[in-house]
Amino acid sequence: MSLQNSTIQRYRLFYPQETLREISARTGIQITRVFRLVNGKPMRLKEFEAFEKAIQIKIAENPNQSRLNKNLEEASSILSHEELGRIADYIERKVNNRKFTRNLLSPIFEEAVIA
Amino acid sequence: MKGLTSLERIIVESLGKHGQTFEKIQEHTGLQENVCFNLLQALILKGIISFEKKTYQINRNISPLMIEEKNGQEAKKAESLEVIEAIADMKDDKLYRFQKIALDEKDEKIFKAMLHNLESFLKEANEKSQSSTLLKDKKIIFWGMSDVQKVVKQIVKG
Repeated sequence: MSLQNSTIQRYRLFYPQETLREISARTGIQITRVFRLVNGKPMRLKEFEAFEKAIQIKIAENPNQSRLNKNLEEASSILSHEELGRIADYIERKVNNRKFTRNLLSPIFEEAVIA
Repeated sequence: MKGLTSLERIIVESLGKHGQTFEKIQEHTGLQENVCFNLLQALILKGIISFEKKTYQINRNISPLMIEEKNGQEAKKAESLEVIEAIADMKDDKLYRFQKIALDEKDEKIFKAMLHNLESFLKEANEKSQSSTLLKDKKIIFWGMSDVQKVVKQIVKG
C-alpha cells in the first residue's frame, strides 16, 4: 500500500463518518480535490501534510494513544525479541477481533478477494 | 500472529468432522451474521477451511507446519490468555477467583486430590452432555496454581 493510501485509510479510521465536505473543511483542501484524492489521484506534499495533521490532532485527543506510542518506543529498546513478539501478538489479536465485528469485510479481505 | 484468535477457534470447533452450513455454524456459535461471515472469510483466506457445496469444512491439506503454528504451545497460551482476560473483563454473570492462599503440605495434598476429583467429574459431565449441548452453551472452566516465588522469578525473567 502506498503512503498516500495508508494515510487516507488511517484518516478514515479516525474520522469514519465524515463526508467529503467535512473532510474539505477539516483539511482546507477543495471538495472536488478531496473527491479526486480519495479516488486515488496522487497527493501533493501540502495535502499529505493536511491529512497527517488531522490524524495527529485526533491522536493527541486520546491520551492512551500517546501512552501506547511512548511505551512501544521504550519497549522496543528494553524488552527481548520474545517479549516484543508476545506484545505484538496481543495487539494483533485485539485488532483482528475488532475487524471481525465490523459490518463490512475489512479492506484486507477485499484486496485478497480481488487479488 | 501465532495461532488463531479465540473467535476463529470457535468457528473451527463448530465445523466438526464433516463441516457445517453457515446457518448451523451461526446456531452453534451464537455469533452475529456479519461477524460469523467475516471470520469464515478470514479462515478461508488463511487456508484453514474451505467452502464447497454450501458447506464450510476444515481443510484436509493443511501442512503439519501450519498445524503446529495454529495448535502449538505458544498459540494455545495466547488463546487461553485471551479467554481468561475476557472472563476477567466481564461485568456480571461470571465466577472468577484469584487469590494467594497459604497452604501447608497436608492441605496442598488435599487440594490436589480435590482437583483430581474435579477433573474426573468434569470429564464425565462433558462426555454425558457433549452431543446434546451447542458450542455456545458450553462452559469455559480453568484453574492453575503455582508458588508465589516461582511466579515472581518467571516475571523477572520475562
